[in-house]
Amino acid sequence: MSSFKVIEIKESVFSDNNKQADKLREELKKNKTFLLNLMSSPGSGKTTTVLRTIEALKDEMKIGVLEADIDSDVDAEKVSKTGAKVIQLHTGGMCHLDADMTNQGITELGIEGIDLAILENVGNLVCPAEFDTGASKNAMILSVPEGDDKPLKYPLMFSIVDVLLINKIDAMGIFDFDIEAVKKRVEKLNPNIKVIPISAKTGEGIDEWVAWLREQVKKWNE
Amino acid sequence: MRILHELGVVLEVVKTVENFAKANGLTKIDTLVLQIGELSSMIPRYIEACYPAAVDGTLLQDTKLKIEILPGNAICKHCEKVFNVIENNGVCPKCQSKEFNLLGGKEFIIKEIVAC
Repeated sequence: MSSFKVIEIKESVFSDNNKQADKLREELKKNKTFLLNLMSSPGSGKTTTVLRTIEALKDEMKIGVLEADIDSDVDAEKVSKTGAKVIQLHTGGMCHLDADMTNQGITELGIEGIDLAILENVGNLVCPAEFDTGASKNAMILSVPEGDDKPLKYPLMFSIVDVLLINKIDAMGIFDFDIEAVKKRVEKLNPNIKVIPISAKTGEGIDEWVAWLREQVKKWNE
Repeated sequence: MRILHELGVVLEVVKTVENFAKANGLTKIDTLVLQIGELSSMIPRYIEACYPAAVDGTLLQDTKLKIEILPGNAICKHCEKVFNVIENNGVCPKCQSKEFNLLGGKEFIIKEIVAC
């Protein structure tokens, strides 16, 4: 035992992942590929929003999609019908994607010529918030039926995203959802966040969302 | 889902420590010391619960885990009193203000290892 000694590491647990994420981001930047990390809870309308986004942008940019799920490929099948290139990532029980897994997915997808890659993260508001995937921008969807108290319950997620889509606003009349309260709660956590109310079902607000995304892709390639 | 969250993070810890050990030529790790802020999203007892599964089959298989808790302290923006956010429910005990700057408590750090 006498040869054992205390060795100081003093490293944040996420530093390894953060380094990998920065490396991936650099590669994407060089290749002029914008990676959007899209997060939300299950059933918020991520896949429908992705379909809408592809539909709106497919004539102006080449889009690839990474579908992350614990299991199954139902989302990948739906998205592949749009003609976009889709890769299904199985996290094997893990509740989030890290930079390494994202890198593997990106490699499989092949970013050559891809202008916009959308990563549909595992449906979960807790774990994906802790791991930088290497994305250019982070987006999340909060849907009206989930309730306006979610920023209070999952503050980390709301504080790390660049844009918040409030989906299913067509159902606003049925649920007690106070959109102004959400904005206030979110802006307290994250003063620079962009909030866009949408309905992936009716298409309302999609123009504003797509305009935001188009602008970000343009800035990324400057 | 709750322990799953910690498991993913603990696997990250194991990976980092293994890389550190490899880079520094360490072959035996007796103890791993983590520092967790009390305002961090990590819950120590869940970390402890999933630790054995996370280290199974790795270099840390027989490594003991020690967790040190770091306090969630803040300084009041109005009267500059330093107070514990959790004990005081986010309210300054001196002037009752709810506005403060956090001094710490969100850390999740691999502090040190006892190794050879």
